[in-house]
Amino acid sequence: MSRKLAVIPAECSGCKMCELVCSIKHFGVNNPKKSAIRVLITYPHPVVRMPIVCSQCKKPPCEEVCPVDALSRQNGVVSLDTNLCISCFHCVESCPFGAIYAHDECEYPIKCDLCDGDPECVKHCPKGAIRLVPEYALGESKRLNNVLSYTQMKEIEFVEKGETKTLQYAEIGKEQL
Amino acid sequence: MNIKGGYFRKGLHVNLTTGGIERCDLSEDFIERYIGGRGFGAKLVWDNLKAHDFHIDPLGPENLLVVAPGPLTGCYVPSSGKNSFIAISPATGLYGDSSIGGGFGVELRQTGHDYLAIAGAAAELSVLFIDNEHASIIRMPYLKGKTCLETEGIIKEKLGSHDLHVAAIGIAGENRVRFACVNSDWSRNAGRTGIGAIMGSKNLKAIVVRGTKDLPVHDVAGLAEETRKAVKYMTEHKYFRLWQQQGLMNVIEYANSKGILPTYNFKATTFAAHDKINGETMLEHYKIGDSACFMCPMCCSNICLVKNGKYAGTVTEGPEYESCAMLGSNLGVERFDAVLAANKLCDELGIDTISTGSIIGAVIEGYEKGVISLADLDGKGIAWNDDDAILDLMHRIAHREGIGDILADGSRRIIQQWPEMEKILLQVKGLEQSAYDSRVGTSMGLAYATSDIGAHHARAWTIAKEIEEGATWSAEQKVDLVMYHQAVRPLFDMLGVCRLPWIELGLNERHYEKFYSYVTGKTMTLEELLKLSDHVYNLTRRLNIRLGATRKADSLPYKVTKAPVLTGPNAGKTLNEDEFEKMLSLYYEKRGWDKDGAPPIEVEASF
Repeated sequence: MSRKLAVIPAECSGCKMCELVCSIKHFGVNNPKKSAIRVLITYPHPVVRMPIVCSQCKKPPCEEVCPVDALSRQNGVVSLDTNLCISCFHCVESCPFGAIYAHDECEYPIKCDLCDGDPECVKHCPKGAIRLVPEYALGESKRLNNVLSYTQMKEIEFVEKGETKTLQYAEIGKEQL
Repeated sequence: MNIKGGYFRKGLHVNLTTGGIERCDLSEDFIERYIGGRGFGAKLVWDNLKAHDFHIDPLGPENLLVVAPGPLTGCYVPSSGKNSFIAISPATGLYGDSSIGGGFGVELRQTGHDYLAIAGAAAELSVLFIDNEHASIIRMPYLKGKTCLETEGIIKEKLGSHDLHVAAIGIAGENRVRFACVNSDWSRNAGRTGIGAIMGSKNLKAIVVRGTKDLPVHDVAGLAEETRKAVKYMTEHKYFRLWQQQGLMNVIEYANSKGILPTYNFKATTFAAHDKINGETMLEHYKIGDSACFMCPMCCSNICLVKNGKYAGTVTEGPEYESCAMLGSNLGVERFDAVLAANKLCDELGIDTISTGSIIGAVIEGYEKGVISLADLDGKGIAWNDDDAILDLMHRIAHREGIGDILADGSRRIIQQWPEMEKILLQVKGLEQSAYDSRVGTSMGLAYATSDIGAHHARAWTIAKEIEEGATWSAEQKVDLVMYHQAVRPLFDMLGVCRLPWIELGLNERHYEKFYSYVTGKTMTLEELLKLSDHVYNLTRRLNIRLGATRKADSLPYKVTKAPVLTGPNAGKTLNEDEFEKMLSLYYEKRGWDKDGAPPIEVEASF
């Protein structure tokens, strides 16, 4: 079972702690720009704060364009073999998400390796905006949100042991689609 | 060398008149004794003042503007996104500084410079672009009249990258409004002491930085371990979640319940409509996202959207407590969407929310009392809760139209024009007072009076502690607390980190001696660091004395001692003048200053 990074953009505050802990883990330096995760911020139309992470694709475009087969997918992680890499940076351009990075001082592209299954960004995000989830669970929260968005929720009040409580329930079959 | 990390040991000096750009090496003595941020700025401003025989026009080309992050800025330290702007203030004519959060300071450090010092004035509206070690002055006259937000957008487009930071001024800065601010990350402002007017006087529309360098940290692993302990403490704090959700907006309810919320230009200190402008209302109807400064788990900034009504479509980051109180209750504004619109307009025009709220509040009261006439107001009346007139007056201030031309020059000019306004305006040294009433806590009065930049809470914020614990405090205890704050709080500005984890979540200040030691490789205790901070306090005081400040400059606004609070738990209270004067004398004595508040002239030799 492979696990993937999932991002909840609505939770991201743009503090960039993920960038910093990534640079410390992989390069041993304090440099948010030497990182395999970068937070993209747009403002004010629209207001977006979103960490851009590698999806560890099963058919990785980066692997396809690499002229020297330096990128390969093993155990759910697309990893870069720096012994083979010729630093052409075609992979950086080929990634549809822009999730591989270049830095002036780095010889090789900066590519997420999921920190051997225990990603620093996930551990240190103060908002819980980056999570490591099994592949089968991807999209679960969206499915739930989607259903809730068109389900007519009703609320009833009732008394239990003298205490007034409320209960929400869905009127199934009466959705306004 | 004692100091092994923490600095690039380079300062960047730019002269906009000659176009000269120089990188200078920083001495061990300079970085050891002045640390960074406000410390670097104060020292450089002092040297410049001395070179000009202590005569400087704050809006003349000779005024040196220093932009300085600290050695911890951008490091793996909680809330390390701070950067200071330091110069002689056009609002007070004395020492001035203001700090900014976000990511500007981090990026400036990553260019490989420990500070940036700007002298002279460009012939045409220009932008200073620092791209790692390369600096250039680019003429961009077409930015004239653009808002702060537009400027940031246009520059990013022109330079073809979003991976850089911009600190820009708006129309108010261009027009040298003496409380104009510098804006970065769209909504973060170095608001106080008129730094934006200084940039305007230099024809400098924006400073743009793009830096990619590793920050020099001596012991990365040690620092990471210490920071993880600190972040763990913060995230487990009982109020941590509240800070993430409401940020500083949670203070509105607190201030109202304790009777310190500025209301109707501080006539009252509780606001009947407080629940219409508080954190709960914001959460329920307006907030659409969190925003944090670099490396800050608290993310105290809120992004708000007005969804309907006459301000529909307004997106703004903020307000925080000061802005909400000064543009809300202080002006009697009873609707949160109007506060958001005013906050957004301040960001666009580039004016300080505190000074703007304070001055407009005083104008409304002055008009109410007949001190300012309808003719003075160009025939446009203004009243409490009149959001249309308030927003219109902001425009006139920034554009210097009609009465706006006088108001734009701040408190000192307003009092010259209408001497009776001295009884209405709340200001010290010409800087308008922050959003905490000092009639309640005498220590807060002393804090405002003795702050080197004027009536601002940045140097000492003692009011909450005095309200909670201070009923039986002696004058000496209050003086001690103010002095301790005046050492600790500026230390944060020297290190380049935010003070909120300490003041709001109680993160032990001992962590900071460790952060400093891990970053620089030089072991220092908190006490030793505070001594350096005190040294800078003496420097800014000597600087103010040289510029003509005396004990009189440490007096409180008329209202604080003469006009009793009208409502709430503190109704009828004023600050006792005799008690205050005694405290002030004791304060001077404890600091080793003379009766006029001057440190001995001999200390100048040590600057």
